[in-house]
Amino acid sequence: MKNKSKKQIGNEIISTDNITKSFGKFQALKGITSKIYEQEVVVVFGPSGSGKSTYIRTLNRLEPHDSGKIIVDGVEITDDVKNLQHVRSNVGMVFQQFNLFPHLSVLRNITLAPQKVKGLKRSDADEVAMNLLKRVGIPEQASKFPSQLSGGQQQRLAIARALAMQPKIMLFDEPTSALDPEMIKEVLEVMTELAESGMTMICVTHEMGFAREVADRFLFFDEGLIVEEGTPDHFFNNPQEDRTKLFLSQIL
Amino acid sequence: MLDKKLKWIFNTFSGSVFNTVISTFCIVLLFFVINNLLGFISNSEWAVVTENRRLLLIGRMPQEEEWRAWSILWISSFLIFSSLKSFISPSKKELTFIFLIVMILCLIFTTESSIFKVIITLMISSFSYLLTKYISDTPIIHKFNKFLIFLWIFLVPLVFCLLLIADGPKPTLWGGFLLNIILASVAIGIGFPLGLLFALGRASSLPAIKIVCTVYIETIRGAPLVAWLLLAWFVLPKFLPEFWGLNDISVVVRAMIILSAFTSAYTAEVIRGGLQSIPKGQIEAADSLNLNVFTKTSIIILPQAIRVVIPALISTFIGVFKDTSLVFILALTDLLQVGRIIPEQDPEFFGKALEALSVVAFMFWIVSIALSNLSSRVEKSMGIGTR
Repeated sequence: MKNKSKKQIGNEIISTDNITKSFGKFQALKGITSKIYEQEVVVVFGPSGSGKSTYIRTLNRLEPHDSGKIIVDGVEITDDVKNLQHVRSNVGMVFQQFNLFPHLSVLRNITLAPQKVKGLKRSDADEVAMNLLKRVGIPEQASKFPSQLSGGQQQRLAIARALAMQPKIMLFDEPTSALDPEMIKEVLEVMTELAESGMTMICVTHEMGFAREVADRFLFFDEGLIVEEGTPDHFFNNPQEDRTKLFLSQIL
Repeated sequence: MLDKKLKWIFNTFSGSVFNTVISTFCIVLLFFVINNLLGFISNSEWAVVTENRRLLLIGRMPQEEEWRAWSILWISSFLIFSSLKSFISPSKKELTFIFLIVMILCLIFTTESSIFKVIITLMISSFSYLLTKYISDTPIIHKFNKFLIFLWIFLVPLVFCLLLIADGPKPTLWGGFLLNIILASVAIGIGFPLGLLFALGRASSLPAIKIVCTVYIETIRGAPLVAWLLLAWFVLPKFLPEFWGLNDISVVVRAMIILSAFTSAYTAEVIRGGLQSIPKGQIEAADSLNLNVFTKTSIIILPQAIRVVIPALISTFIGVFKDTSLVFILALTDLLQVGRIIPEQDPEFFGKALEALSVVAFMFWIVSIALSNLSSRVEKSMGIGTR
């Protein structure tokens, strides 16, 4: 709360213009137009099947969109491989199921991409990785395998892995939904620290306590559309739409 | 220790009545089997094996070329026994087992003329094992292990060199157990990497590649190996271009081509099963980290896919090894063929088929059991990072 007033919101870094996406007959996104600014923390929420996960997955083309225009860091996302590489190297992603590489050690999970994509030397990559592990609070686990960590530690490792590529934007796809309740806090703490450091973040989450404290802006999704957007205060004190009111009353 | 054994006996015979009956029955059965086996071994005349030692092991290779086989044996025993400690680290039980098998082999195959060379082999084996045991705690071991891996990779080419240099015997004269081993190594050595590519091709999103790979796999798998070998015998030369005398290649090479193709098709399907077991999240994570296709495939997907299918893979390899005995169709005399022909054609050994064939079976069994043990070892050592 205390930092938020001081925080500078920067230039526009992501803009989506009327994007749509269908899976067979089901239309997951029905025209999403949004803008995300540098250093902004945006929380996306809404009922299941509302398209919120699909939305953030289109932002690094894990799901190709059907129509509309997505511009990330000045580059339009198309089939073009070069554009895609530019976008993906600037966008980190954290998944609900962690998606760690189970056959690689904790350290190697982090160093793999910097070494292979950025061409870092092994020793430099190791140093970067150790610093990140310290940052997320699990440096002593470096030589273990992911399966030997607790769920919360695994998700913190996943965050460190994404950060190792020094992304400008971080996407979080329900990062705490697969965790036991007592482990949620440790992950949210890391995310809060990240937000305070000025990272641009888009989080799909239903952790409203965290969202209220950290987010600059909320996007409420329902049935493939952004139904309402605004500041946390706006949502908690004065939501306008009936669907928003109904959903908030169910989860709070 | 004694307590444990008593407990074991107690557990075997106590419990339900049914349990006791079954256990007693099994023990009686075991007793009869072992009794008959020992009777068979002591009452048979093993001359059929000892006299034809050379034929069984290296086929019709002339006597003056025998040194090639011996040097191959020495190199392989050095490799096998020096790898034991580093890569397998066998328990006492397993060491005893290996020792027993080596002793049985020596008993079967040593003759007066070769006793000196057999002793050299045994010395090389024990020396290599003791050497690796001695240096296993020193830093040299890492370099030594790298050297071993290097040697393993180049073993097959090395064997070919040894067989061919200095005007070696014609490949059609290769035979016996040596031929089985060579064919199986080539089939696996070429078939496995090819199979890997075909599996990736079949899983590819590019339609042309996918169709080619699918057609290849299904065609090769669709007909029996015997049919393919017969095709190699009659038809393959007509498909090959005439220059370099390619249309006149040796039947041994034809057998290698067919066996490799066969292995690659089966391996491809096994690996494809592994590829399908990779969760989609792994690929998404790799994509989100901007890994390129090569890194994604070689570091994320394949290691996980292959680990899942190691048991199936090794059993394919064991199958291939045993299938090499089908090359008798190409008029090659492999181990099984030798064991079959001698009691039929050599008047001295008429009717000794049982002795000859049981030794043949024993030889195949040794390699198969070694491979299957290797598979469980690899599985265990790769199990560290399982989810």
